[in-house]
Amino acid sequence: MAYVALSEAEKTYILHGVEDDFRCDGRSRRDYRPMDLETGLVSNASGSARLRLANTDILVGVKTEIDVPNPLTPDFGKLEFFVDCSANATPEFEGRGGSDLAQELILSLQNAYESPLAFDYRTLCLIPGQQCWKLYIDILILECGGNLHDAVSLAAKAALFNTKLPRVTATLLDAGITDLIISDNPYDCTRIGIETVPLLVTVCKIGDYCLVDPSAEEEVCSTVSVVVSVSMRNGKAFLSGTHLTGGGAMHRDTMRNCLDLGLAIGEHLDRLLTKMLNLEQERVGPKRPQTIGFLK
Amino acid sequence: MQTLREFTRKTKRGNILKIVREHYLRDDIGCGSELCRECFQNEVYQLTAQHANQSTLFKFPHYLVLDTNVVLDQIDVLEEDVLRNVVVLTTVLNEVKHKSSSIYKRFNEIVHDRTRNFYVFVNEHHKDTYADREPDETANDRNDRAIRLATKWYDDHLQASQSTKEFERSGRAATRVILLTDDAGNRAKAEAEGILVTSAAEYVKSLEDFPLLIDKLSHKTFENEKKGLPQYPPHLSMKELLEGLRQNKLLQGAFQASRENYLEGSVSVEKFEKGILIQGREALNRAVDGDLVAVELLPEAEWSAPSEIVLEEKNVYADEVPSEERAEDEKDMLKQVRAAASSAERTPTGRIVGIVRRKWRQYCGILQPSLIEDTTRHIFVPADRKIPRIRIETRQAAKLQNQRIIVTIDTWPRNSRYPHGHFVRSLGPLGDMATENEVILLEHDVPHCKFSDEVLSFLPQMPWTITEEDYAKRVDLRDLYICSVDPPGCTDIDDALHCRELPNGNLEVGVHIADVSHFIRPGNALDKEAAARGTTVYLVGKRIDMVPELLSSNLCSLVGGVERFAFSCVWEVDNEANVLSKRFHKSVIKSKRAMTYEEAQVIIDDATQQNEIAKSLRNLNRLAKILKKRRMDSGALVLASPEIRFQVDSETHEPLEVEVKQMRETNSMVEEFMLLANITVAEHIATEFSECAVLRRHPRPPPTNFDPLVKAARYQGFQVDIDSGLELSHSLDKCVKADNPYFNTMIRILTTRCMMQAVYFISGSLQKEEFFHYGLAAPIYTHFTSPIRRYSDIMVHRLLAASIGADSTYAQLLERKSNEELCHNLNYRHKMAQYAGRASVALNTHLFFRGKEEDEEGYVLFVRKNALQVLIPKYGLEGTLYLKSDKDGKDGLERTKSEIVFTFNEEDYTQRCGDVVFHSFDPVTVRLSLDSSNVQHEKLIFRLVKPYIKGFSVETATDGSDGQAVAAPPPSKKTKKDKKKK
Repeated sequence: MAYVALSEAEKTYILHGVEDDFRCDGRSRRDYRPMDLETGLVSNASGSARLRLANTDILVGVKTEIDVPNPLTPDFGKLEFFVDCSANATPEFEGRGGSDLAQELILSLQNAYESPLAFDYRTLCLIPGQQCWKLYIDILILECGGNLHDAVSLAAKAALFNTKLPRVTATLLDAGITDLIISDNPYDCTRIGIETVPLLVTVCKIGDYCLVDPSAEEEVCSTVSVVVSVSMRNGKAFLSGTHLTGGGAMHRDTMRNCLDLGLAIGEHLDRLLTKMLNLEQERVGPKRPQTIGFLK
Repeated sequence: MQTLREFTRKTKRGNILKIVREHYLRDDIGCGSELCRECFQNEVYQLTAQHANQSTLFKFPHYLVLDTNVVLDQIDVLEEDVLRNVVVLTTVLNEVKHKSSSIYKRFNEIVHDRTRNFYVFVNEHHKDTYADREPDETANDRNDRAIRLATKWYDDHLQASQSTKEFERSGRAATRVILLTDDAGNRAKAEAEGILVTSAAEYVKSLEDFPLLIDKLSHKTFENEKKGLPQYPPHLSMKELLEGLRQNKLLQGAFQASRENYLEGSVSVEKFEKGILIQGREALNRAVDGDLVAVELLPEAEWSAPSEIVLEEKNVYADEVPSEERAEDEKDMLKQVRAAASSAERTPTGRIVGIVRRKWRQYCGILQPSLIEDTTRHIFVPADRKIPRIRIETRQAAKLQNQRIIVTIDTWPRNSRYPHGHFVRSLGPLGDMATENEVILLEHDVPHCKFSDEVLSFLPQMPWTITEEDYAKRVDLRDLYICSVDPPGCTDIDDALHCRELPNGNLEVGVHIADVSHFIRPGNALDKEAAARGTTVYLVGKRIDMVPELLSSNLCSLVGGVERFAFSCVWEVDNEANVLSKRFHKSVIKSKRAMTYEEAQVIIDDATQQNEIAKSLRNLNRLAKILKKRRMDSGALVLASPEIRFQVDSETHEPLEVEVKQMRETNSMVEEFMLLANITVAEHIATEFSECAVLRRHPRPPPTNFDPLVKAARYQGFQVDIDSGLELSHSLDKCVKADNPYFNTMIRILTTRCMMQAVYFISGSLQKEEFFHYGLAAPIYTHFTSPIRRYSDIMVHRLLAASIGADSTYAQLLERKSNEELCHNLNYRHKMAQYAGRASVALNTHLFFRGKEEDEEGYVLFVRKNALQVLIPKYGLEGTLYLKSDKDGKDGLERTKSEIVFTFNEEDYTQRCGDVVFHSFDPVTVRLSLDSSNVQHEKLIFRLVKPYIKGFSVETATDGSDGQAVAAPPPSKKTKKDKKKK
C-alpha cells in the first residue's frame, strides 16, 4: 500500500476529526468523496470504465474470449481479474513493488464474485459443456488516493455494464458439435446483467469509530479495516464476502457494526451507480461516443 | 481527422475478437472534375467535357456514379467503350472486389484505361462523404447510403463550382451527377434525397448513338416471366447446403454433363470411384457442366444405370412452352433407363439439390433461327454439347444469324426451361475458317492472343550471333554429321541425331535437342507466358505457338546448315544397342541436313548412297529396330488411333484432300531414340533431384476399364489377357482375322480407349513404384525432347542443366509445391490441346464433306442401344448411325416404318433387324453426307448402304435419298419376317 508519511500530530488531528464526525475534508463518517465515472472510452476493449474517486484513479477494460467451461460447472462462463499497479500511481509500484497490493485486490474481487448468486455466470455460457465466454477484467491503477477496493469494484461493475458481447448464434454440427456464427453487425450485441454484481465497501476503524471511504492519510491512521462485499438481490443487500486488512483485530460487536454499515452504504452506493450508468447510456445512445475526453 | 471502424471477427481457432481500426478522413481528396475550381487536384482531370454521354433521358452534360450491382451485372456493357465520365467510388470497388474477383479484375482494367474517363473517388476517406455505420443498419444498407451520400456530395459540389458568374456567362449547361442503380429500394431512397437516379437498363436504352448496347445488358430479371409454372425443384439455400454438406447428408462435387445424352450427367465425388449418376431433368436441376454442386444420394432401391442412349435435344423455339410431347419423350427415356437399370449394373444415383458455386463462363455457339420474325427473344445453341441452350434477348438477330457468337449465362430461374443469358460479342461469320478456329480455341481454353510487348522484350536481339564466350562454355559438335528428321513442312525442329563409329568398334549416338532454356530465362515474362500456355497447340493448318515465332521457328529450331545451340545426350553403344556409357552436355551443332521422314527413308533404302549421313542413318535405323524389339519384349503396347492429315489449300485454308498418316521406318527410328533420350534423362534427374524432378507417368488402367475390350474380343472368339502389359501386348498381337484385315487395328483402337491419361508429376509426390509408364513399359519416363513445343521439357532441361553444372539453379526450380502446380497446369493444357486438335480435325472433316456424298467402307466399333458407332478407316472418322427402336415413332424423319424394328440384344451386344445382325467389328458400307439442312449446326450423317435393309438403308442407286425409302415395303420382306416369327 502506498505509504504516506504522517506525523503523530497529524494522526491525532485525523483521529479527533473522526471522533467528532467531521473529517479533515469536511465529510461525515458515512460520506464518500466525489467521483467521476466515464464508460466506453477504450475502443479496443469490449467494455471499459474509468473511475476517479478524489485522487484515486482507476481504468478498467473488459476483453472477451471464447473458452471451454470448467467440467464441474458446464453451464458457467469464466471471469478473470487482473490488477496492474502502474508505477505512475506511486514510485513504489515500480518493478514488482505493486504486486502484493495487486494480489490482494484480485483476491478480494474473486472472493466477492465467487458466488453464482453474486455474479450470474450462466449469462456467459454459450453452449453448456462446450463453449462459453471468458471475460478478462483488466484493472489499471493510475493513481492511489486511498480506498482502492471500493474504487476498483465500482469501476469493474461500470465496465461490466458497458461490456458488449457480439451476438453469437450456434449451428449444430454432426455428433453434437456446434459451430459459432457471429453477427456481422457490430451493433448487434448482448449485455451483461449487473444487478447482482457486488461492490466492495471498505469500512475502516479509526479509534473507536468506523468510517467509509478512507483517504490515504486516514488509512495510515487505521489499525484494521474490513472490506465488505455487497451484492444486491431483489432490492435487498446481501453479503457476498468479507476480508480484513491491516494488522489489528476487531471485537465481535464492532465487526457486526462494520458489516451493517457496509451493507447499508453498499446498497446506497449501488443504487446511485446504477442510476448514473443508465443516465450516461441514455445520453450517449447506442452509437460509439464521439472521441473526446480522457485518453483522446 | 480520424474515426474508428469496429468489427468482430472469428479467428481460425474459434476465438471471437473485436477489432478496431483507425480510419483517417482527409480534406484533400480531389473530385477529378475539370469544372471544379476548389478541389486540390493531384493529377490530370479524369472527368472532362470532351467525352460526354449522349442520353435522351438526361439531356444535359452529366457524370455517372455506378452502384455495385450495376458493375457486377453489367460488366459487359461497361467494357464497351461507350460510357464515359464515370465516378467510381471506393465503396463500390471494395464491394465488387469482395463479391467477384474476376469482375473486379475486368473492372479495374476499365478504370485504368485513361481514355475511358473513369475516376476513382476515395469516398471512404473523404471527410464529407464518409458514412459511419448506424445501429440496426446492414452492411449493404450502409454501403448504399455511402454511395448516395457521395453522389449527393458530388452533385452539390459541382453545382457550387458552376454557380459562379463566370460560368453563367459562358452559357454552358450545368453538369449534373446521375446515379445508376438496379436496386429499386436504393433508387427510391435516392429520389427522396433529390438525387438524379435511374436504372442501368433505362439509361442504356436512352443512349441514342449506341442502340446495340442494349443486347449486352445482363438480364437478371427477364420481363416476361408470366407463364411461371416452376419446372425445377428449388435449390436449397447456401446455409442449408453448408449444413447438409457438413453433416454428410449431401455430397459436393463438380458436375459433368454427358456429351451424348442431355438428360444425364454425373458428379465426381471423392467417395465414389465412378461419380454419382444424375438422370432426368429434375434431378439435374439446372446444373451446368463444371458447376460445383451439392448432391443428395438416392436410396439404393432407386439407383439406376447410365443409359446407353444417344439423346440429342431437338430444336425448340423461344416462345414455346415445353410441350407435352417432349415431356413424354423424357418420360420414355426415363422408363427405358429404369428398365435397363433393373438388369444392368447399377451405380450410385442422386439428384442435385443445390449449387455450391457456379462455374459459368462465356460460351461459343450460334443463334437458332426463330420462327417468328422480329422477335427479340432467341435461343442460343452452344457449340459444346454439354452446355444447355441459352435464352437471350437481342435486336440484331438477323445480323447474327450466320455468325458464331459468344454468350454468357446470367441466371437460371426455376420457371425457365433454359438459362437466361446475354450476347457478349460476335466472332465472325459461320463456316469461316478463322472464326471456327477461334471457336475451337475459346472452347478449349487455349490462350491464343498475341504475345504481349513485355513478353517479346525478353527475346534476344536480332541479328543474333554466337559469341566466343558461348563457344567456350559449350562442347563444339559442329563437325559431326548431325541431321534432323521431321514431318514435311515442320519449322519447329527440336531434335537432331547423329551416329558415328568409334575407333573401338562401338558406336556413338547423339540426340541433340534445341536448347530453349538458354533463351527463356526463369521467372521473366516470356517464361511465365510459356508456362501458362504449357504447350503448342496444333490445329489443322494452324499452329498456336507456346513461345514466340522468333524462337520456335528460327533461333531454337535446329534447321540445316546453321549453327545452333543444343542440349546433347550422347551414348556409347555396342552393336547390339547396349548402352555402355552416357553423357549430357550443352553444345553448339550445325545440322548437316533437315530431312523429312520420306527423304530419310529414301536415303536409307538407296544403297548407292554411301556418304556419312546415309551411313549414320542406316546405323541409327538398325539400332532403333533392336531397341524397339527390346521394348516390345518387355511389354510396351502398340496402340492405334485413327490419324489423318488434311491437305489444306494455302489460300482459303480449306481442306482439299484427306490422307491417313503413313508410318515409315524412319518415324519409328526417330521415336526410338527420343524415347531412349527421355528415359535416360528421366533416370538422371530422378536420382539427382529425388524431390522435385518433373516426370511423366502413365498409370495402369483399372481392370474394369478393359471390360468393353474384353467383351468385344470375346464375341469374336479372342481372349484378351489384361493381367499385365506384356500379356496384353501379346494377346493383342494374336487378334488377327484373315477376312478382316482392319480387325487388329480396331482392337488396338479399342485398347487405346481403355487407357488412362499419361500425366506429369513431381518425383517427390509419389512412391517410386508409381512412376511407371504403362504404355511404354518403362519404369521411369519424362519429356525432354521437344522443348520448343512443351513447357515440361523446358523444366526438364533446366533440371538437367543444373545437375551437370551447365546452368544455375533458382529457388523455384527446386520447390516442390510450385512445380506441382506447374504440372497441374501442364496436364490441363495438354488435355485441352489434344481435344482442340481433335475438334479441329472434326471441323475440317465437315468442311471436306460439304456438298459431297460418298459411300465408304467402315466398321462397327460399338453397338449401342439405339445406334451403331461406325468407324471409317479412310478418314479416321467415327460417327453414329442411328437405328430406330420401335418406340421412337415420332422423330419427324420419314424413314420410320413400324415394320423396321431393330432389337437390341444385351447379352452379346448385337442389333438385329430381320435377318440382318450387327456385331461389333462387322464391316458395313455407309453413305456419308453433310447435313446442311440446319445451316447453323452442320453434322455428318451416316446412312446405311450395306448390308441392305429395305426401308432403312439408302438405295445403292445413284439418287439414294431418304425420300423413296418411304415406299411401302414389298411383300417379300414381310414373308421373311413372318417366317422368322414362326
